[in-house]
Amino acid sequence: MDEPLTRISRPQRWDVPFGASMTEAEVDRLLTFAPLSSFDAARFPPTIPLRGILRNDTRIRRFERGDIIVREGDYGNSAFFILSGNVRVLLDSLPSQQLGRRPPQKKSFLASLAQLWSQPVYPEVRDYSGGKTMSSIDAARVRARDATGEGVRIFLQDVPGVLEKNRTLQLGPGELFGEIASLARTPRTATVIAEDSAELLELRWQGLRDIRKYAPEWKQQIDRLYRERSLAAHLRETPLLKNLSDEDLRNVAEHTQFESFGDFEWNASYRTIREASAQERLAKEPVIAREGDYPNGLILIRSGFARLSRKYNHGERTISYLGKGDVFGLSALLCGAQFDERTGLQFSLRAIGYVDILFIPTPIFEQFIAPRFSEADVIELRAQVEHDSEINLGRDAEATFGPEMIEFLVEQRYVNGTATMLIDLDRCTRCDDCVRACAASHDNNPRFLRHGRVQNGIMVANACMHCVDPVCMIGCPTGAIHRESLEGQVVINDLTCVGCATCANSCPYDNIQMVEIRDGGGRFILDDVMQTPILKATKCDLCVDQLGGPACVRACPHDALTRADMREVDQLARWLDR
Amino acid sequence: MSPFLVRRICFSAGCLALCAATFFLWRVWRAALRPDAIYTGLLLLFLIFALTLFNARKKLPFLPLVRASTWLQIHIYAGWFCLFVFLLHIGFRLPNGPFEMTLALVFCIVILSGFFGLFISRDLPPRLARSGEPLLYERIPAFRLRIQREVEELVRQAERDTGSSTLGNFYVQYLRAFFVHRPRAFSALRRSGRKWHAVLAETSALDRYLNEREKAIAAELRDWIETKHNLDFQYASQRLLKFWLFVHIPFTYSLILLGVVHGVVATLYAGRW
Repeated sequence: MDEPLTRISRPQRWDVPFGASMTEAEVDRLLTFAPLSSFDAARFPPTIPLRGILRNDTRIRRFERGDIIVREGDYGNSAFFILSGNVRVLLDSLPSQQLGRRPPQKKSFLASLAQLWSQPVYPEVRDYSGGKTMSSIDAARVRARDATGEGVRIFLQDVPGVLEKNRTLQLGPGELFGEIASLARTPRTATVIAEDSAELLELRWQGLRDIRKYAPEWKQQIDRLYRERSLAAHLRETPLLKNLSDEDLRNVAEHTQFESFGDFEWNASYRTIREASAQERLAKEPVIAREGDYPNGLILIRSGFARLSRKYNHGERTISYLGKGDVFGLSALLCGAQFDERTGLQFSLRAIGYVDILFIPTPIFEQFIAPRFSEADVIELRAQVEHDSEINLGRDAEATFGPEMIEFLVEQRYVNGTATMLIDLDRCTRCDDCVRACAASHDNNPRFLRHGRVQNGIMVANACMHCVDPVCMIGCPTGAIHRESLEGQVVINDLTCVGCATCANSCPYDNIQMVEIRDGGGRFILDDVMQTPILKATKCDLCVDQLGGPACVRACPHDALTRADMREVDQLARWLDR
Repeated sequence: MSPFLVRRICFSAGCLALCAATFFLWRVWRAALRPDAIYTGLLLLFLIFALTLFNARKKLPFLPLVRASTWLQIHIYAGWFCLFVFLLHIGFRLPNGPFEMTLALVFCIVILSGFFGLFISRDLPPRLARSGEPLLYERIPAFRLRIQREVEELVRQAERDTGSSTLGNFYVQYLRAFFVHRPRAFSALRRSGRKWHAVLAETSALDRYLNEREKAIAAELRDWIETKHNLDFQYASQRLLKFWLFVHIPFTYSLILLGVVHGVVATLYAGRW
């Protein structure tokens, strides 16, 4: 007789709450705090009630004096709302070691050479004989403190000294911080420490996003905070606006609007979209601006990627892609402002995955930005518009790579990579020297597959691309997968990896592998309760600890392999056109 | 000008200059009645040792040594130079003793296998890149078996759908051998694809005896023939690209051994007869 099928209820969003200890009584207490108390619960849909968000997407955390709440440069998935106590935002950067980060360490020449004979026979061997634990954060001036079920916490030892030597900003009850990094998936811009005993409500970004959506006053508060804390600095860093006076910049900042397009967790839908036809894929990409429309304003890409395309018969031809710091609509706006020629947009702009933009309305552009351009600049821009080019890009990727390649890179979202492994199949002899070099440098097991999608004889191998938007880091419960602080490589701390496979499942490119680890004798290391092998996430780390950089590139005898930063279009084009 | 062309010109010019300088020295040594064979022999031995370092470099990928691609370029041009020094060493004549003949033969095998490796590593990859989906060498036997099973299932399906054994018989008579066949490595160098064309032509010629359903299945069979042809080419090419080293490297070590013996003997007995 056949065994009955196993039936379970479909997993739901709130099956696993953010904070296990949240109770209805805590939710009642939270709803007494402003501005939570002022939210209209009726505006929330029945499937995502406000109480449900507070119960499942938040947790209450208590910090002691000197505890580091967020570290500058870290990627975080949550924001913090201060319930009681005070925190200090450090406006100056602290040294990495003071923040508990290991300085990037490379092996010495002798240690590198020793790999020749010290490499274990079996793959993925780990040595737990020395009682190693998750203490890589144990730097000189930082100690780890157990925080009653909330994991390891880091604290500064010399709080008065730090406060005295650095410029700080005090935040008190009712204030919010960390929302920008959590919503835009960008690194934390400052370190925040507890000034005294503080009680904080930590909101994971899903809850923050929903409250922002259904409580307009919350959205206004977040936008106001961004406008106050970061926008002016962001605009100041935009080359286009660098000549603006402080007064003009303030005016521009005041009228700048924030908009987001696409799905924040785009990796979830990407696997199904990538198998769809080109038209279906394009139809699923939200339109930010449409070709032929009058430009309502200047668009600055704040994070994420956007596809630039124009109509071609019954479809759309991709011309290029825009990323952080790029602007769209400049030429059309300038022609309108300087020559009173109202031209439509030359291209359409669509969100690839998830895009955050800043939008400067046309009247503001014409009043404050356009007058800063010289007549010669405008004539040059106008000539480019007439030649169907686009000054906003500073690059024409279609002309550089060819139409097929640019469609491929954009549609497969390889433009996300900063160290994408490209293999020129016209030169690759399949000798596997790259694979052997990788294995020799990493626990006798290569960290990539010499296999992947191919376009025009170029293979994008299954190796970690060290993405601009590393969605693999969303949801890592221990922060084991993180960016190396200095050069930004996405690496996994083997000691803190719990083998949950969240990162491997999140990686849209299937570039993270879960491996069963072994002891020196080649036997699998088992979980003492479940008796199942311990898993660890592994992936390419760009040989951060090896002298000389990525072994795969150095080992290729035929110049067939490179690690390409897809933002460096010219460099990539030179490699493709060797 | 492409960077590869610039590199080729630079290395070629360097190699030619080195050859010219060595030839000049060799003429001078000969004119001065110096033991030129000893000098060129020592140089040759040194060059052979230096050339083998490329393999050692491959064993040390974690050391910050010069990139393997640069090593390979040096290896190639040093190989050319080595051939020239060898010709000077034997005085552009065939060696006469059995040991010298053996040594020269081994040297020629090493040099020729090296040039052969260079040729196929430039010729085969572009052709491989255009012969269907890239496959990992180790997985090809499994793919071959899968294709064979898919085709056999297709033929059985044809029999079930049409009640006719025409395609089944045709498969047994003509196609089975093609789908089971494991190509030899050197077949990758042949560009004609004679067997593949013949099988394809036979399958196309069968169309006139088939009904519509069978024709559709025969068209699918032709697709599978194309897939198997690509698979065979990938298998043979990758095999050849891997296995030429099994000639080049062992003979290199033999050459070193014989060369050292020859060097010792020649040095010991130099000028004694």
